[in-house]
Amino acid sequence: MSAMPAPLLWLLLAPPALGLLAGWRSPRRARWVLLVGLTAPLVAFWLVSASATAPLAGTLALGTLELHWRLNGLTALLWLLTHILLLSSALYAVGDLRASNMNTPATPGFWPLLGGLALGLGLVWIAGDLILLYLGLELTGLCALALMPRPGRVDALIASLRYLLFALIGSLAWLLGVALLLGAWGRIDLAGLAAVAEPDSVTRIAMALLTSGLLLKAAIFPLHAWLIPVHGSAWTPVSAVHAALVVKVSFFILLLLWRLLLPDAVVGAWALGVLGSLAVLWGGIQAWRAVGLKHLVAWSTLAQLGYLMLAFPLLARASAEVATLAWQATWLQLGAHALAKAALFMAAGNLLLSTGAARIEGLIGSSRRLPLSLMTFGLAALTLMGLPPSAGFTAKWLLLQAAFASGQWIWALVLAVGTLLTATYVFRVLRCSLVEDAPETPLRRLPLGMELIGLTLALGAIGLGLAAELPLALVRGSTLP
Amino acid sequence: MVPITAWGLAGLLLLLAMACLLDRNLWRACLVFVAFAILMALAWLQLGALWLALAELGLGAMLTGGALLGLLRGRGTWPPLPACDETARRSRLTAPLRWLMSLTWLGLAGLALHLLAGGTTRLAVDSVATLFAMTGLLVISLGLWAFASQRHLLRWLLAFNLLGSGVMMVLGGLAGPSPGVQALILIALAVGCLGSLLGARLVLELHALSGQVSLATSAETGA
Repeated sequence: MSAMPAPLLWLLLAPPALGLLAGWRSPRRARWVLLVGLTAPLVAFWLVSASATAPLAGTLALGTLELHWRLNGLTALLWLLTHILLLSSALYAVGDLRASNMNTPATPGFWPLLGGLALGLGLVWIAGDLILLYLGLELTGLCALALMPRPGRVDALIASLRYLLFALIGSLAWLLGVALLLGAWGRIDLAGLAAVAEPDSVTRIAMALLTSGLLLKAAIFPLHAWLIPVHGSAWTPVSAVHAALVVKVSFFILLLLWRLLLPDAVVGAWALGVLGSLAVLWGGIQAWRAVGLKHLVAWSTLAQLGYLMLAFPLLARASAEVATLAWQATWLQLGAHALAKAALFMAAGNLLLSTGAARIEGLIGSSRRLPLSLMTFGLAALTLMGLPPSAGFTAKWLLLQAAFASGQWIWALVLAVGTLLTATYVFRVLRCSLVEDAPETPLRRLPLGMELIGLTLALGAIGLGLAAELPLALVRGSTLP
Repeated sequence: MVPITAWGLAGLLLLLAMACLLDRNLWRACLVFVAFAILMALAWLQLGALWLALAELGLGAMLTGGALLGLLRGRGTWPPLPACDETARRSRLTAPLRWLMSLTWLGLAGLALHLLAGGTTRLAVDSVATLFAMTGLLVISLGLWAFASQRHLLRWLLAFNLLGSGVMMVLGGLAGPSPGVQALILIALAVGCLGSLLGARLVLELHALSGQVSLATSAETGA
């Protein structure tokens, strides 16, 4: 452990400050956002290189209260990913405002809330105790909630209200689980809790309650009902950030606590794996049947989150070899999906904004006139399907190896069926847009930047597959606190 | 021995929670909620957490209570919600998943409290803290019942706030008022308050746009 650089923590407060500034005077030009916002990923990149050699950790005393934080290669990478995606979303938002001739964002308070989101996510990644974890989870959740509603639309309001209630109840379930853990073991820092806690019945019950809350917040099958209408009706940059980052926060906390407190609970881990498999199947089938383009993308989020859940059975009481494979696969899949899904939402948003059609059939003939957006869609879909050379392929390949090495071949079956389903729904969209003899409908012109952001992210997901060894080396070296 | 005032406080909290969820007159229900929050502040004082008592008064009684009462007052061009709850109760069979989950959830929490009280030395059976945790569990069950059986959105916001108070009582009772636990409860109070403010705004806007006070039209399929 290296010494604690305390000023480092102040970096967390920079994005909210920028957000407030942008909220006071909404930026009209992407170049300003790029210029100012680019500092955040650069700082995160510096953190990755700083924590690559030795994990950073420390405590922060506020009066009698002591907060614990830590940063290792994995969490620094997550921090970097967060800031890349938030910056892309901010750039896309500016482009969207210009394209649709609006002065203020479609979501009131967009900029400060985006800053709040950055703070919340940063807190979760660095949290070393239950307080920071809870603070980060709730800040992320509340900012995401406040970003969702769009004034004047009844369907969006109903979706947001349902999301609000489910998310808040999810947090309460989480808090009740934490109350039981604290009542039984009395330690609030994660390292201390892991050292004293034993997997007895109280711990198991606490974890069951806590898990139910986090599954609800992460929209894991069968608790996903709120996700689809929310993604279908939210503003495009908001949906992109939400699907790429916000739902992953709950998964991160879930995996963290399971690995710390119940590393050997095979039955529970298998139950989570089965839920994930069902999510892969159900999400795939529903995406194939979806009528609206954004709904298709939202259902595909549900399916892709299912792959992440396979980490639980593969890591539970696993040999060192299997555990390493599954550990790398999980985080690579998370990163690949975050980049690809944000790109997919942006491509879908471009297609919708330009053609004005919400249904997939409305995309007929868009290949000739919106080639860049369609290419983004295709490249991002490559990652979702898991075709080489994308990061999705590498992640699924590692998962397959882990499944066979541990003898749990059933997960390989899930991967195969999931890939087939993904291909089916992706080709449905591509087929519609490749129709040549379509009538010419008027198109709204989009700024080139809007199309390039999504394309960059989609290419990033493929580049991550080509250069996977660098981040994976960091992930391999980073165990949980 | 548990002093008689603590018993009285616990009983009164339960009574108010029940009144808050049952009263068809929503104005009165909201006022009862404010009284509940004030009593919660007294309970935090009894556990020796002055800051929590102040936060409960400010965030719970004033801000949340004010936001909920504001729903029945209207804001700007948005008209107020009718003060009488006329939505039909949901029958037990329409949302089996919701009932099943609530009951499982409650059963597990109760079992864990029982195990904690029986097995270890952390939770003395005969103490104010234990009484507090048990009351919290009962308040949680009331809140869950309201979620599963009622439809009015304002009632859901009330139920959510009571649910939150119940969880905080369990947390405070089980883990004691250490600085860490107080910080957790403080965050929970702030989250409940912000969530209620946001929820109240959405409910008011939804009512202004479509005149509905429940999600019933679309919730039937998603439940």
